[in-house]
Amino acid sequence: MVGQLLGEPLTATITAKAAQRFAMASGDLNPLYMDDAAARSAGFDCTLVPPVYLAWALSAARPLSEVRDDGLYLSGGRRVALNVARVMFGGEEWTFFEPVLAGDTITSEMRLKSLEEKTGSSGAFVLQMTETTYTDQRGRVIAKALGRSIAR
Amino acid sequence: MSTQRHTEDVTVGQEMAPMVKNASRAQLFLFSAATNNPHRIHYDREYAAVEGHPDVLVHGPLQGAWLSQFVTEWAGQAGRVLGLSWQNRGRAFPERELTFKGRVTAVADDEVTLEIWEEDENGAVLMPGTARVRLPRRIS
Repeated sequence: MVGQLLGEPLTATITAKAAQRFAMASGDLNPLYMDDAAARSAGFDCTLVPPVYLAWALSAARPLSEVRDDGLYLSGGRRVALNVARVMFGGEEWTFFEPVLAGDTITSEMRLKSLEEKTGSSGAFVLQMTETTYTDQRGRVIAKALGRSIAR
Repeated sequence: MSTQRHTEDVTVGQEMAPMVKNASRAQLFLFSAATNNPHRIHYDREYAAVEGHPDVLVHGPLQGAWLSQFVTEWAGQAGRVLGLSWQNRGRAFPERELTFKGRVTAVADDEVTLEIWEEDENGAVLMPGTARVRLPRRIS
């Protein structure tokens, strides 16, 4: 199971508008994200994408029939099927190799890195580590993200 | 981002100027929308209570985006963030002051390692992390 691909790879072209919507919602008005002229004068061809937006930029839209009562999507797709009430994100570790430019077409592959059963002060839980690799339209790996989540 | 920071400006132990955030409920809603996240704990206070929270919660990834902004602004336009990690430790709520702090823990060649964290108004660390940044050299 460890090393297996979690769901199909995801691919999307990240538009400047979507990247700016994320940056604005984060309260981040970095001119490199917002202004082509500022990005060009810093040596880039066009505006950049906030790098942590990669985690959200590629996911597919899902129908309302897949939204549970708590608002979360029904599981399926990119995670190990665990019979648990709740999954909490425990943390992330990103490595950025190349800047992401608006208009880039990025593909991500998420793999299971480890799965451990543990016991903590508030009972048993499962610690799941995933590794997601982000590749651009030229085949360069531009970023990697390790994700730690806790299921109980 | 006015003046560019250079490797020569940085020494171990140096503190980063803090960044303060205070999320409105509307901001949480917009962040849910921008990340296609329908989880009700971020916009439905009554429902958040069902999951044991006294109020709606600030998204972990929004706090991650703030840490990223904090480090990116410190690095300046000619700096590059090479790595960033964080751990979710505690809950963050809207309409409260959240402060991002950090300090330089290592300088090797052009690469700087930072210890960074987010605190709530009581000084409790909600999200500790680290970052690696490459800074330009001053042209001599």
